[in-house]
Amino acid sequence: MSVNKYNKHILVLPEDDANRQIANGFLLDPALNDRAIQILPPPGGWTKVLNAFRDNHISEMHKYKNRMMLLLVDFDHDEKRLGNIKNKIPDDLKERVFVLGAQSEPENIKKNIANLNTFEDIGKALAQDCVNETENIWGHELLKHNRNELKRMISSVKPFLFN
Amino acid sequence: MLQRLYIHNFRCLENFELQFKDMPSALLIGKNGAGKSTIGIALEVLQRIGRGINRVAHLVQTEDFARGRTDVPIRFEIEVLIDKKLYQYTLALELQNNFEALRILEEQLIVSGEPIYSRQGASVTLHEAKFMVDWHLVALPIIQRRSEADPLHLFKMWLAHIIILTPIPSLMTGESNGETLEPKRDCANFGDWFSGLLVRYPAAYMQVDKYLREVMPDIRDFQNELIGKNFKTMRVQFQENQADMRIDFRNLSDGEKCFFLCAVVLAANKSYGPLFCFWDEPDSFLSLSEVGHFVTSLRRSFETGGQILATSHNSEAIRKFSNENTLVLYRKNHLEPTLVRLLSDMSFQGDLVDTLIRGDIEL
Repeated sequence: MSVNKYNKHILVLPEDDANRQIANGFLLDPALNDRAIQILPPPGGWTKVLNAFRDNHISEMHKYKNRMMLLLVDFDHDEKRLGNIKNKIPDDLKERVFVLGAQSEPENIKKNIANLNTFEDIGKALAQDCVNETENIWGHELLKHNRNELKRMISSVKPFLFN
Repeated sequence: MLQRLYIHNFRCLENFELQFKDMPSALLIGKNGAGKSTIGIALEVLQRIGRGINRVAHLVQTEDFARGRTDVPIRFEIEVLIDKKLYQYTLALELQNNFEALRILEEQLIVSGEPIYSRQGASVTLHEAKFMVDWHLVALPIIQRRSEADPLHLFKMWLAHIIILTPIPSLMTGESNGETLEPKRDCANFGDWFSGLLVRYPAAYMQVDKYLREVMPDIRDFQNELIGKNFKTMRVQFQENQADMRIDFRNLSDGEKCFFLCAVVLAANKSYGPLFCFWDEPDSFLSLSEVGHFVTSLRRSFETGGQILATSHNSEAIRKFSNENTLVLYRKNHLEPTLVRLLSDMSFQGDLVDTLIRGDIEL
């Protein structure tokens, strides 16, 4: 059975191919409940993520109350981007939509963190941090800006996303 | 774990090498005719040797020579890591002028750099002993093992347990009149495999059951009932709101049969693995909403042991792999051999699936 939309689940909308591959690695964690998460095709850019969210997902999220969404975007050193994206999320959905991503772009994470040679490796390490409640990777300079959003997401999804 | 596969002069594969070091799962993509399924056919030659088929004529035919080039030997080389030891097996086959049948030119098994046996033509050297084997018989299946721990035996078992799948659901009836751990490529003996797995590894039932409950929440039970002397048939029971429905396995949908197949692959890998599995288009027969979960389940399971190599044309399946575990196969035309390159070693702009749809990937 695909994701059961009547049970709690999360859809991941990655900005691009690099973020998609990070999400793939995340899904390979043995503790993950694969039936509660679905990665969607990458729209190709953070503005397109917003468009896809607006056009395809807002009405569906109103319909399916157990649906959560993670928008996986690059922040490109733009400190206002998180706020700009959040402004496009309807107030009644804000609690169920999360926005995470690299401070610059995922390629820099790969270059700057030893032993994480592929995007999947990054995803696997991020999942391990979530399972173990550590910040080995999430605490890195290029990802630590996600702390508040991550904390909010983990408290919402961990009970159903990890076995 | 398969480290390297080298094939020469076999169908479209010429001087063709695949490296799988540290890859628990990998995907082969490429246009129709690029050679994806041919890799499965080459692996099947090695699997059949492991399963005891030793007559060359039952393994390879003269039409398998690339572009009919019979003056060049067909060569298979496989390198496998078993219990941290590297096994290197080579088999070269030739067709002599004015002969109709292929014969052995060269055969060798090396473990951790030490030769176990080597062969030139009919002459085999095993440790200190020398003896002759018919030119038309592969030596590996007929050399007597000395113990369960004999490297020769371990390697043969590894080959025999290779799972190669191109399932044809209509042939998967769920009926069995025997037990095996050696599924056929088309899965026509699925019932025998299911029976063999459960008889030899009863704990596998739990794993099969766990997976099936995830994909079919209304499944209540499945039985492998004895309905005649040595004849069993699989039946599946569903339950919803206290209503029951029991159906024969043969009447499940094609996709549902593939759920069972996936469950058995996962349980087999846990029970008598680590195994190597080649699955040609595992997305076939599945709904779009199911493909990603199906592929990810396979990938996740093989992360902890064993190896899976899949092929696909399905965008959802392709997106469940990443650049460092996706191999692109390309063949310019039918007169040229298959080329292969890791996607992470290629440069292309934008979305991979879009690029594949446009047919813009070339090597």
